[in-house]
Amino acid sequence: MARYLTCPFCGFEFERGDTLCAHGCPIGAVCHLIRCPTCGYEFPETPTVVSWLRRLFTPARIPVPAVACRTVAQLRDGERARVVDLISARTSRRNALAVFGLIPGAEITLIQRRPSFVLRVGETELALDSEIAREILVEGSYSEVTVAPEDGSATNNTSSSAPDHARAP
Amino acid sequence: MVLVGNPNVGKSVLFGNLTSRYVTVSNYPGTTVEVARARAVLAGTDCDVIDTPGLNDLTPRSDDGRVTRDLLERHADATIVQVADAKNLRRALLLTLQLADLGRPMVLVLNMLDELEERGGQIDRTRLSELFGIPVVGTIANRGIGMADVVAAVGGARIPQRSAIAHDVDEDEYDRNRSRFAYVNGLLAETYSIEQPARSSWRVRLGFWAMHPIRGLGLLAIVLLGSFWFVGLFGAGTLVDALEVGVFQQRVHPLLIRATDAVLPFPHTHATAAVRYQLDVPLIPGRDVALHTVERVVDVTAYHLEGTTPVRGLQSIRRFLHDFLVGEFGALTMALTYALAIVLPIVTTFFIVFSVLEDTGYFPRMAIMVNRIFRVMGLNGKAVLPMLLGLGCDTMATMATRVLETRKERVVTTMLLALAVPCSAQLGVLLAMMAILAPVAALFWLGLVVGVIVLVGWLTARLFDGDTSDFILEIPPMRRPQLSNVIVKTMGRLNWYLREVIPIFVVGTAILFVLDRLNVLQRIAQLGAPVVTGWLGLPVEMANAFLIGFLRRDFGAVYILDAATGPVPTLSAHQILVAMVTITLFMPCIANFLMIAKEHGQKTAWRMAAFIFPFAFFVGGLVNQVGTWLGI
Repeated sequence: MARYLTCPFCGFEFERGDTLCAHGCPIGAVCHLIRCPTCGYEFPETPTVVSWLRRLFTPARIPVPAVACRTVAQLRDGERARVVDLISARTSRRNALAVFGLIPGAEITLIQRRPSFVLRVGETELALDSEIAREILVEGSYSEVTVAPEDGSATNNTSSSAPDHARAP
Repeated sequence: MVLVGNPNVGKSVLFGNLTSRYVTVSNYPGTTVEVARARAVLAGTDCDVIDTPGLNDLTPRSDDGRVTRDLLERHADATIVQVADAKNLRRALLLTLQLADLGRPMVLVLNMLDELEERGGQIDRTRLSELFGIPVVGTIANRGIGMADVVAAVGGARIPQRSAIAHDVDEDEYDRNRSRFAYVNGLLAETYSIEQPARSSWRVRLGFWAMHPIRGLGLLAIVLLGSFWFVGLFGAGTLVDALEVGVFQQRVHPLLIRATDAVLPFPHTHATAAVRYQLDVPLIPGRDVALHTVERVVDVTAYHLEGTTPVRGLQSIRRFLHDFLVGEFGALTMALTYALAIVLPIVTTFFIVFSVLEDTGYFPRMAIMVNRIFRVMGLNGKAVLPMLLGLGCDTMATMATRVLETRKERVVTTMLLALAVPCSAQLGVLLAMMAILAPVAALFWLGLVVGVIVLVGWLTARLFDGDTSDFILEIPPMRRPQLSNVIVKTMGRLNWYLREVIPIFVVGTAILFVLDRLNVLQRIAQLGAPVVTGWLGLPVEMANAFLIGFLRRDFGAVYILDAATGPVPTLSAHQILVAMVTITLFMPCIANFLMIAKEHGQKTAWRMAAFIFPFAFFVGGLVNQVGTWLGI
């Protein structure tokens, strides 16, 4: 399996086979540097063991969507939002929601949180467990931005501050 | 033709309209669990119409789609008629795209146009028809509008154009449905518009009320009290009195006795008794308004022989048949009276309430309310429907457990139904017994039953391997129940129930009669004595009640009621409570056992029976011992 290399200077990702080093470089085996095919920066290759250890001990990076996101469980009663992603590990669960029209891009309104979550998507009202509500990532809060600007500032902040704000008494 | 569509869009109503055969229709997604088929004459030609359970997804890997997919494969030449909820076109078109991939002639029926109009929505049907290349018709099925169009369209069904969505090989069903939705959104933009009304109607607001954490509980209490009044007081009180005493004891029994005596004569005289019937209307438990009283002196089943010569030969055969028909355990005087006069009114009132609630769309909202409690028992809120149906008939409810998704949920629910949910027949008898006891005893009984349900549910959920399905439940809009549908549905359920019940009653009585004649009853009573008198602290005759309770627990309850209220009451209040608790926890009836065996296999059924009966005696005994110890 080909290893991906990342240029520390420009961040370009490439395979070793794409570089000049692998295609008839006269220095060849003597040189321990790799030349980035885009910016031409030369850098030493990280030994396999080091990169392996690094992968083992750095915490797993979960791809975080670029926009400020909350889950449905963090919305308030009557709040409107747009679905960004479903993060259930199981395809069947994601699909069970998808067939009701609950897919990324869909606009939802949270009707209530207790005793179970109820949300409206299109003309469908859906009741959900809180466990599933936590697996639906949403963005934006139309009613808050337009109706209550002082609350809107909280939602426009980073993703981490919004849940804290919501949890505060 | 095969009717296919999302849940709760009115496939069954359309089916009923096309074929004039009734299938259960309700405002609850997942009502149709079985495929129904009937013949219909459409535009002069004979044609098979098949109704299918609702589905949201036809992709091969979804559980939903499997039944319908298999069915469509089996009927390869059938026309597909997709029924859609017009106001929820997005989801319908997802299914249309999936169906289009099958490459079969189809028709799209947009149902519930009235609800679409109510919400200010519009659909460009001609454009939609052009886009898919199939006939698109609009209907309001429950008012029978547009049926002729459907029939005409089926004749002109065409193979839809394939959607131009390319699918990668390694995409899963979720990704495919996402790309289908992206395509649907394009179609919708061209053909569909809807605007939310500024003010929500009272029905919508009531719908929100019903699932509100606090107001929902209030509504739940009102619904329960209303149902209790109608079924428990009016049904089990006024109607049962009227039928049992007013009709059967005062009129039918003497007639039957005289008729039997005429056909099967032997020298004997029936005893007579004064039977008093009072028509009253219940206000609250224990408070009735008496309207009318009739007292008549009539013949009863007890008799004494005339003369001193013992009955011999032909006369003894006559006497035997006479006793079988109108004796103490007579097929006519006991079984028929019980089935028609006691069970029928209670079951009828229950099914009326159930049908009305079902059609309003209240049950899914109830599921939201109880979801968390049911979680403890390894179930989710969806199990509320079979559990409530169990209050009508446990056998029917066992069949209804099919709406639950995982095997674990089905088994746990079946177990709880068989153990502790009293069916309406038994509930009626139990209510009569509670009338004798103090209200505290009734509350104790209720608490005990709920406690047993939660505890056993929790234990079964722990012991039984498997998953609880996700609680994703579509909430249908609140609707005004239609009188005709309520009547037809109640009649359908009653019909089913009576066909199930009357044979068992008659057979049960016959068995009891034969056992009584062969003196087996006494021997069994002696065998059961250690348990019945020792552990339960009941008179030895109560063994009969439990014996017949194996057949039908409500029938056993009738014996206990007889012993408690008969001419010579033989039970104390404490004993009534013990007997009541024990018989409540019995398996409902032999039909229920057979249904469990049919749904979950013989092994599961026997295992449940092996747990339930000892457990019933154990709990009953526990009540007895604790009660005695406390000196109650």
